[in-house]
Amino acid sequence: MMNIPMHRFKYTRLSKDQVTQKLAATAAGPKSASPLSGALAGKSLKIVTDGGPVLNYTFKSANRLTLAEGSASAVEAAYGALELQQMVFFSHMVPGTLKGFNVFVDLKSQLVTVFEVWFAGGKDPSGQELDDREVQRQIWFGYVDVAGKKAPEKRHHFTNRLEGTGMYWKQDTGIETIDLYPSIVSSNFIEVTRHADDLSYCSPSDYILVNDNLVIYDRTECEFSGTMTLYLIDLFTETQVGMRLGFNEKDELEYYMYRGKGKVVGQLTSLAPFDEHGKSVNLTMGGAPAKGAKSAPAGPPPKGQRTVYRPGRTFKNMTPEEVQRAAEKSTVTFTGDPNAPQQQAGMMGGHLLPFSELLIGKKFTLRYDNEGPGWEYEVLDIYNLQWRKEGTGSWQKETYRAFEADEKLVFFGHIVTGSNPVACRRIALDLTNGLTTAILSQMGTEYYGNEVSYRAVFGAAEMAGINAPRYVRHCFTDELVGRGFTRTYSDQMTSMHLYTTAHSSSWTIYTANQTLGMQWCAPAIYVKLRDGVYIFNLVEEACNGAETCIIENEKTRRAIGFGFSGGERGVSFGLIGAISRDLGGYDIQHYLDLKAKGV
Amino acid sequence: MTSNHGNLETVGGRQPDGGRRSFIRKAGAALSVVAASAAAGFSRTSAPNEGSDQLDLLKRRVGNLEDAENVRRLHRAYESSLDRGRYEEVVSLFADDAEVVYGGSLFRGSEEVQRLYCNQFAAGRTGKKIEPAPGFEPDPSDLEPVVEVAADRRTASGRFPFSMQVGEPMAGDSSLVALARLHGEGIVRRWERGSCTLSCVKTDAGWKIRRLEYHTTLKADYRPGHVRV
Repeated sequence: MMNIPMHRFKYTRLSKDQVTQKLAATAAGPKSASPLSGALAGKSLKIVTDGGPVLNYTFKSANRLTLAEGSASAVEAAYGALELQQMVFFSHMVPGTLKGFNVFVDLKSQLVTVFEVWFAGGKDPSGQELDDREVQRQIWFGYVDVAGKKAPEKRHHFTNRLEGTGMYWKQDTGIETIDLYPSIVSSNFIEVTRHADDLSYCSPSDYILVNDNLVIYDRTECEFSGTMTLYLIDLFTETQVGMRLGFNEKDELEYYMYRGKGKVVGQLTSLAPFDEHGKSVNLTMGGAPAKGAKSAPAGPPPKGQRTVYRPGRTFKNMTPEEVQRAAEKSTVTFTGDPNAPQQQAGMMGGHLLPFSELLIGKKFTLRYDNEGPGWEYEVLDIYNLQWRKEGTGSWQKETYRAFEADEKLVFFGHIVTGSNPVACRRIALDLTNGLTTAILSQMGTEYYGNEVSYRAVFGAAEMAGINAPRYVRHCFTDELVGRGFTRTYSDQMTSMHLYTTAHSSSWTIYTANQTLGMQWCAPAIYVKLRDGVYIFNLVEEACNGAETCIIENEKTRRAIGFGFSGGERGVSFGLIGAISRDLGGYDIQHYLDLKAKGV
Repeated sequence: MTSNHGNLETVGGRQPDGGRRSFIRKAGAALSVVAASAAAGFSRTSAPNEGSDQLDLLKRRVGNLEDAENVRRLHRAYESSLDRGRYEEVVSLFADDAEVVYGGSLFRGSEEVQRLYCNQFAAGRTGKKIEPAPGFEPDPSDLEPVVEVAADRRTASGRFPFSMQVGEPMAGDSSLVALARLHGEGIVRRWERGSCTLSCVKTDAGWKIRRLEYHTTLKADYRPGHVRV
């Protein structure tokens, strides 16, 4: 079981030669715990694809075939095949090369979808260097050419029919995963049995509709091991046949086929137009052109193109010293005119709540458990307070902002002036019972200087008019696991946030027509403050290192809080305000408890 | 353009502007007016020299109309290329010593014009021609382009209304923005309406834009739902 999270694991940069050597084992064909199918043995298929190769197959037996690509000479390879409903799925690598084919043949319609796969992809169309271990893919749609028979006009095609669906899967290998499909170009997966931590990850994905109940799905663990998982789902029977190809964290080749049994665990509501069927993926691949770039050439996209978020390569990691120097030059707190905060809050704060006056004039002491901090506070006005360590003499003044996140539940935050590394506090203080939770953050982790580290501490307040409990506390919660919400930060920016596990979350960007597109994920914590009111805290680990610390109020469907981030421009402690919509969710928490891991 | 015009002709029945410039509105209408007046002139005159003068005048007028139409074509090519995001094509419509005034900045010379369109416009997806913002429909009279051709037919100027979608890349290094930009978004959009004035010069390669200036009279928030594609 892997106990280093994938986003922290240093996968070996396997060279092309190393990949070639390791692929030699594919000469025996894919392994499979379930019996492989002999449905193709003795048959020949000529597969014609649109704009792609013509594949002339002769299946000599249940595990040997010959392939002639177009007019090229035939090569012999080992293969494996599995059947599901009217589909036969077979997979093989091409000996002596770094490529292979995974072919879904619809015996009823004679339609075919081919996943050509290869390693050592070189550079992507934007010039990004790809890891040689990362599986590349090109999808070809086509048909089985039958002599004397007219070619079918229809094809399998991309689809959004799976957008929002989630499934639990158990392979015949015993491996369990939860695969969530909230996007048309990406997916979330949770390794229930392979990983020690319940974290979700995102991978670029494809969704292809065969018919109403059969969908082909793939994902490639880009930025991680580069492994591809490819399977056909039968939604009627909640079963799958699949293939996994790549190199795991031990750099061992994984090339096997499998059967799986699953369950639909829920559905997120799609906000796409009703006449949008997702037959084509209408993303502007690669985003805005780079400086000096010419307009994209007309014609089909480059072979293997897919949209991949690669934060590990694009964000600059800084040392703690570099971050501190940047912070000394610029530490921005609650930007702009305090009398016009909403205007100045920018893209992430277009839906702020008014600043709360509930703390003005109040004096209180916050004590946190387990030898946590104890602070005395005096709140001077709506923007300023002072604090000191309990029992010490000197006060430190800070600019703060406070919101009433729920009835008499105040969420306030301030930076800790003079701290090195730069630190900040976000404090939820329940004025009805004195319970308090503080999220304490500072610049820097053991990995790099501009990644925020944080911890939650629980305690109680001592203040006039409140008798706080001695044992009852706010606590971590899994109540939100599986839930999906939109967050509209401003009219220009709405994202979808999926609370994938009690320790992680993903976020997905809407395309122009509100189809869900690109996504990424990170570890997170959830703290229950009251029924329907939670702290959500997430740091974009191994990414830009930024922290989002908000209170989500399910009743008002408002998210309010603070963002904390650092980089070359300095350190920023800003405001976040969003309105949300509840998209539904997945019933998955019961797959994630300790029993599921055999503990 | 202002000092070396020599004689200028009035075409299309409009009065000359201070006696120095001729304004041309819709080419088709103007042509028919020119043809009508020329025919009337022939029927009214009898002296041989007068006939020759009228022919010269007619030739000049037709030449002016051709030039005006070419300037309009140049502007249409500019808008069309801008609309389709073909920024390299946009740049090719400018003279080497061209100037563009946009957003309060002056971009002078080929290199800077290239930078404006191929970097700034491209990054912001600026230039998509759209319908006027709902509730901010312009007066129909403001929509008529106006073109003026100098008598020597070497230069011309024009004023064209525009309504376009302007985009600016979202600031910051938020992963939300980074992800949005991967699918071609991450742009803050707004509507702008106003007029675009062109000074053009006739070169060996045809008419080119020597100076282009945007005069924005209206900005409005963008609402995707209101866009008619």
